[in-house]
Amino acid sequence: MTRILAIEDDEITAREIVAEFSRRGFEVEHVADGREGLVRAVSGEFEAVTLDRMLPNVDGLTIVSVMRKAGIDIPVLMISALTDVDERIRGLRAGGDDYMTKPFASEEMSARLEVLLRRARVQPRETMLRVQDLELDLVTREARRGGREIALLPTEYKLLEYLMRNAGEVLTRTMIFEAIWGYHFDPGTNLIDVHLSGLRRKVDPPGVTPLIRTIRGSGYALSATA
Amino acid sequence: MQQLEIWRTTTFRLTLAYGMAFAIGVVAVLGLTYASAGVFITDQMNEIVVGQARGLHDVPPTALAATFRELEAQDIRHVYYFGLFRPDGGWIAGNVHHLPQGTPADGHPRELRQPGYQPGARAVVERLSSGELLFVGFDAKVLSGVRTIILSALLWSGGLTLVLGLAVGAVLSLAPLRRIQAMQRASQPILDGELSARLPTSNRRDEIDLLAGIANGMMDEVERLLWAVKSVGDNVAHDLRTPLTRLRALLYRVRQETGPSAAHAEMIDQALSETDTLLTRFRALQRISEIDRRERRAGFAPVRLQALVEQIGELYQPLAEQHGLRIVAETEAACEILADRDLLFEAFSNLVGNAVKFTPAGGLVSLKLTKRAQGPRLEVTDTGPGVPEGEREAVLERFYRGRAASQAPGCGLGLSIVAAVARLHSFHLELGDAGPGLRVTLDCWPAAMSR
Repeated sequence: MTRILAIEDDEITAREIVAEFSRRGFEVEHVADGREGLVRAVSGEFEAVTLDRMLPNVDGLTIVSVMRKAGIDIPVLMISALTDVDERIRGLRAGGDDYMTKPFASEEMSARLEVLLRRARVQPRETMLRVQDLELDLVTREARRGGREIALLPTEYKLLEYLMRNAGEVLTRTMIFEAIWGYHFDPGTNLIDVHLSGLRRKVDPPGVTPLIRTIRGSGYALSATA
Repeated sequence: MQQLEIWRTTTFRLTLAYGMAFAIGVVAVLGLTYASAGVFITDQMNEIVVGQARGLHDVPPTALAATFRELEAQDIRHVYYFGLFRPDGGWIAGNVHHLPQGTPADGHPRELRQPGYQPGARAVVERLSSGELLFVGFDAKVLSGVRTIILSALLWSGGLTLVLGLAVGAVLSLAPLRRIQAMQRASQPILDGELSARLPTSNRRDEIDLLAGIANGMMDEVERLLWAVKSVGDNVAHDLRTPLTRLRALLYRVRQETGPSAAHAEMIDQALSETDTLLTRFRALQRISEIDRRERRAGFAPVRLQALVEQIGELYQPLAEQHGLRIVAETEAACEILADRDLLFEAFSNLVGNAVKFTPAGGLVSLKLTKRAQGPRLEVTDTGPGVPEGEREAVLERFYRGRAASQAPGCGLGLSIVAAVARLHSFHLELGDAGPGLRVTLDCWPAAMSR
């Protein structure tokens, strides 16, 4: 079972994190203090960490940079009440893998952490992505569904690559917008939806089993299983 | 900036008024001196002529001619006039050959109002016991001398007082003028919205400092109140987001546990989407204050707008197609500008999003990036209903939605975010008429500080 360390000093937020991960089938350990959190984080017992930016005794930035210096490269999802863009940049530069601001939707948090976990596990040297009969050649940038070639626009290619790299994971619209366009604001649900439905028309033509699933109230997933 | 001229300063006017009052005083004093001196001198002259006449009274008329010559010889100043006339006015002796008119022989001194005598000259005519008329006059050389002296004193002192008053006024006004101009410069940032700026004060504790102190005190209060109002807004947005996020999490969990076929599934979905709308609005509100709070120019880096605009066009292409619109991006290779790339993208995105939202099917949304002398200009034009002239300022405010927008989804914060981003960069944002449709122009160079 995947073990996750949640370093978070706000009690209610901590309870939410623990509840969300337990529901997803993770084993969660919660620590409220910065110094204790640092000790646990470098213990090597966990596969991922959610880390509050501001903590008593030792702050989040210090924890993540100490972890990286100690050679511990497990995914770190930083969670902070500081919404400033500069804070995000600082968090990522210190070694965080992703940055979320409070308040957050818990499924957004678990979605992000699962993408991080997956990225950490999968060897990134693949040249070909496969999900059932859907193939994406990362060298020639060609996509095929059941042997039939799909013509993709550059944005659609990036979208499909992102979906396939994270096949089976729920990807929220915010995560998609951040990953494909690289911006961190709320673009409005519809804007991302139309891009997805354009891609869906090409990937899931009538008569084949649909692969791109809409997850109501959260986002999208490219199904690994039917 | 309105220029303050030196002659408009209070000090200058005060000094000038003081100088004029002083000049009037000088004139009055000199005039009074002249008048009293005149009276005194006239009295003296009267006594001189009467005394002289009295002295000559007892001289036998036959000896008068010789006495006249004797007296004239003593009169070095040539101020005495003598004359002896027959009762019918015929000349007998003396240096006056005609008996002047208007001098009755009554022994009273009078002014000699005759050509050939200076104004103010006095004379007396007496009838001798033998019947001849004796004329004694005294010229007004002293009086006119005194007059000349006083008049020139009047001119010089009056003129000097005025000239000196003007000069001293100008010099005295310079220092306050400089301080007022410094204050004018210092107040410009306040007018431009920099509420933390203050007016300069010195340690003189004079009236200018007093006024500056009062103005600064008022600014403190205004700033405090504005912050209070702002932070109430920010805190409300922030504080409400947390419970709303939890509410959404709960709804989401309920939705997952009930499954898609449950009777209430649709209602829960609706509740979820309403909660999302609320969260979006609070997020946008918080976003505006975040942008407003940001340190000016912190995090600015060179940005190429051409790529940014093309990316926006591409981002909105599918959405425009879904609405049955064409979207066209025309870009010129404009120079790099110093800006916050992410915020500019967000602002452009909001502009194009609005255009797409409000333009009816079959319309056109065009993005145009042109190179101006001062920098790049972005224009987003649509063929929608436009914004009436009277509402163009208001739509930039939070939550204001134009009449045309009241039917469309959204919260009226998109343009406020654009306005906040423009404010942060000191870019000029303008809504205009594209006839038909709306044209939003964003001048991507720092607008002049003058207003």
